[in-house]
Amino acid sequence: MCDTINNIINIVGKEVVRTVIGLVGVFIVVLGNAIMLTWTERKVAGHIQRRIGPKEVGPFGLLQSFADSVKLLGKELLTPANVEKPLYYLAPTLIFVPVLVTFVVIPFDGFLQVKDINTGILVILAFSSLTVLSILIGGWGSDNKYSLIGAVRSVAQNIAYEIPLLLSLLPIIFMANSFSLRDVVEAQKGLWFVVYQPIAFLIFFIASVAETNRTPFDLPEAESELVAGFHTEYSGMRFSLFFLAEYTNMFIVSAIAVTFFLGGYQGPILPGVVWFFMKTYLLVFVLLWFRWTFPRVRFDQLLNFSWKILIPVSFLNLLVTGGILKL
Amino acid sequence: MTLAAKTIEEFKAEFKSVDISEVPYDKQGYHLSIESRTGNLLGIVNFLDRREFYIVDLFCVDYQDYLELVYFFNTHRELCRIKVTLKLDPEKPVAPTISNIYTIARWYEREVHEFFGVYFEGHPNLTYLFLHEEIDHYPLRKKHVPVPDGDKKLLNSFKPHEEENSFFINLGPQHPSTHGVLRVVLKMDGEYLISAEPVLGYLHRMHEKMAENKSYMQFLPNPARMDYPGALLFNLAYVETVEKLCGIEVPERAKYIRTITCELNRIASHLLWLGAFPADLGALTPFMYAFDDRENILDILEDVTGSRLTYCYFRFGGLYNDINEESFVDATKRFIERMRERLVMYDKLITGNVIFINRVKNIGILEQGQAKKYGFSGPVIRSTGIPFDMRRVEPYAAYGSIDFEIPTGHIGDNMDRYMVRMKEIEISLNIIEEGIKRLPSGPFKTEKVPKKLKPPKGDIYNAVESTRGETGVYIVSDESDTPYRMRWRVPSYSNLMTFPHLSRGVLIADAIATLGSYDIVVPEIDR
Repeated sequence: MCDTINNIINIVGKEVVRTVIGLVGVFIVVLGNAIMLTWTERKVAGHIQRRIGPKEVGPFGLLQSFADSVKLLGKELLTPANVEKPLYYLAPTLIFVPVLVTFVVIPFDGFLQVKDINTGILVILAFSSLTVLSILIGGWGSDNKYSLIGAVRSVAQNIAYEIPLLLSLLPIIFMANSFSLRDVVEAQKGLWFVVYQPIAFLIFFIASVAETNRTPFDLPEAESELVAGFHTEYSGMRFSLFFLAEYTNMFIVSAIAVTFFLGGYQGPILPGVVWFFMKTYLLVFVLLWFRWTFPRVRFDQLLNFSWKILIPVSFLNLLVTGGILKL
Repeated sequence: MTLAAKTIEEFKAEFKSVDISEVPYDKQGYHLSIESRTGNLLGIVNFLDRREFYIVDLFCVDYQDYLELVYFFNTHRELCRIKVTLKLDPEKPVAPTISNIYTIARWYEREVHEFFGVYFEGHPNLTYLFLHEEIDHYPLRKKHVPVPDGDKKLLNSFKPHEEENSFFINLGPQHPSTHGVLRVVLKMDGEYLISAEPVLGYLHRMHEKMAENKSYMQFLPNPARMDYPGALLFNLAYVETVEKLCGIEVPERAKYIRTITCELNRIASHLLWLGAFPADLGALTPFMYAFDDRENILDILEDVTGSRLTYCYFRFGGLYNDINEESFVDATKRFIERMRERLVMYDKLITGNVIFINRVKNIGILEQGQAKKYGFSGPVIRSTGIPFDMRRVEPYAAYGSIDFEIPTGHIGDNMDRYMVRMKEIEISLNIIEEGIKRLPSGPFKTEKVPKKLKPPKGDIYNAVESTRGETGVYIVSDESDTPYRMRWRVPSYSNLMTFPHLSRGVLIADAIATLGSYDIVVPEIDR
């Protein structure tokens, strides 16, 4: 299939076509991933909790997510009385922008990449920080104290965890000598970077759990404290957009981790794209596993962990890497 | 010399003109009775406070000619129950408040105020606790007494006023971690709580009034509706009290079966909490595991009692039916074996988890000194290091002949409350094992218990250790077939009322962890 797409692109040879095809592909991946992941999450949760999970709709309950989407589409879009309307409506839409943009630079295979930008990693980091903006807007616009607390928590959390996230990627950029994601993957032909940079990998993974607001760092939604956090007042499709974004974000952070540390699409025998997805979903599975095992950390513990442990350690890691490379 | 004898001597030396009399404990469940007057009540309460007595209960009985305020005191060291009464004029009932001596009296007095119209002079916030503010009479008075118009404004329930730099959050009545319909009004400064005030009454069903309109037999199913996770224990509290009141003997076999089933129920209730507590901290999986185990107990109890949640198994003088020796004993033994394995698993999954430890250790610390002021009981008091357990203090059913240990904590934080409950599950398993081993044969109920019980005139207080602490029943009988007054002393009430004290200045996440660690049951508090 990769060859066919490649041929089409070669024949037409135009950036526009490539972009359009790419965007369609991105949409398919985003929606397919969200549908797959909701089912996987429920199945994994079920088995972790000694249940079977969904099994009624379709074989193994595979069509459960479709049934759920239909249900969510059919729900009334409630707008509470005192909401800040422009902000309230904007937030669920806005949360999808960074999600879609980051997909553009991820190399699924040697050729399967919408666009290889030579500052790819900067694009990802810049846009993924936008997610928090829409959470803030949604929480602020909802006119609900739980939402507001959730939104404010989210901002503090994202600022704290963006720094170790960036700092843990920098050593890789040193080693690959490029900001382009494809170059980073190509640089891992011999050995994966996780072997050279296990600490950076750990820090990146922990920080990305926090970035995606997953347990144990799910403070912005903290069910037992804030009811549903920033999306307390959202219902129907608006809620499901937040939901979709969360699952897509999980995929993205795992994909970036795979690209930077686990050799991206590289692997023997099987085509690259298969390797890529296998590795990514393995990491996604770990994220699910976390959620159904750990309790939630407290807010001050979360910030302390980042500022007092993750950031100093990642700085140290960066210094050591820089020093060794210079020698 | 017993504490009761010592107290009576000291009391007579200090208060010469006050009547103090010894009461037959076997018949009435308390040792001393003191008749106080408005003038010397505070002196007497101070006297008891100095001697480390804690307040068990405070309530009122309407004798038509006069209202009688009843204060029950006891100590944590030795059983010495003292009843202090204060007669009030039914036309203008005014009493001094004791809330500055015993903090929990703040809530008890509000309760007496709304049900009887008694005014407490000097009470900081004499508003309704359970009832709706628009109710127009005092429900537990025997005659219809309307609420005076001038009072209605005073009686308005808690309404917060916004202040600068702080905001209010209504935690509940519908909230994932209030376990039922509890409402707590939180005054907050960012993520920090400035103060918290529980607002009760969303599940108030007036069981105490219901009791006055039903015969003793008809009231049997009601206690189970108060504390639904530990229904058998409330059932037992009621049945034992009436048996003591009427002097009904219970065969040994029934006593043992009561002990075994009650302990099974205690484990089931603790398992329910074991699921809910980590869920309050964000871990959802232990909930499913705990319910899986709980299901086994429900199956066993269903076989015996016929129901799965709101049991009504005990009857006056015995049981509803005998256990099936083979299937019950087999199933219980299998469960004990399984549960012991599972406890090891819970230890690995929850107790050893570093996030869990950080969330509960040194959070919500209750000092031993608070026990007297609030009168909290059960695992909450044991977590502070006081080995106070009604099963040991005042043995009932077959607990007197079974040896068991009482787990205690060290500092009274959330971790200690967690550990105490986990240990209690283990000990309950031992008690059940021991009980099954010694299970005597014989009849399971006394013959010739009349359908219509007419107990002799008098009053009685009797307490059992329910899953949440000291559950007491106080019955006044007037020789008719319905109780003249029935009062329930429920443990969650005084346990919950320490929450405003513990939640001052803490993070909201910690406050919720603390609330979860109490294991409160709202229908029990509201009654």
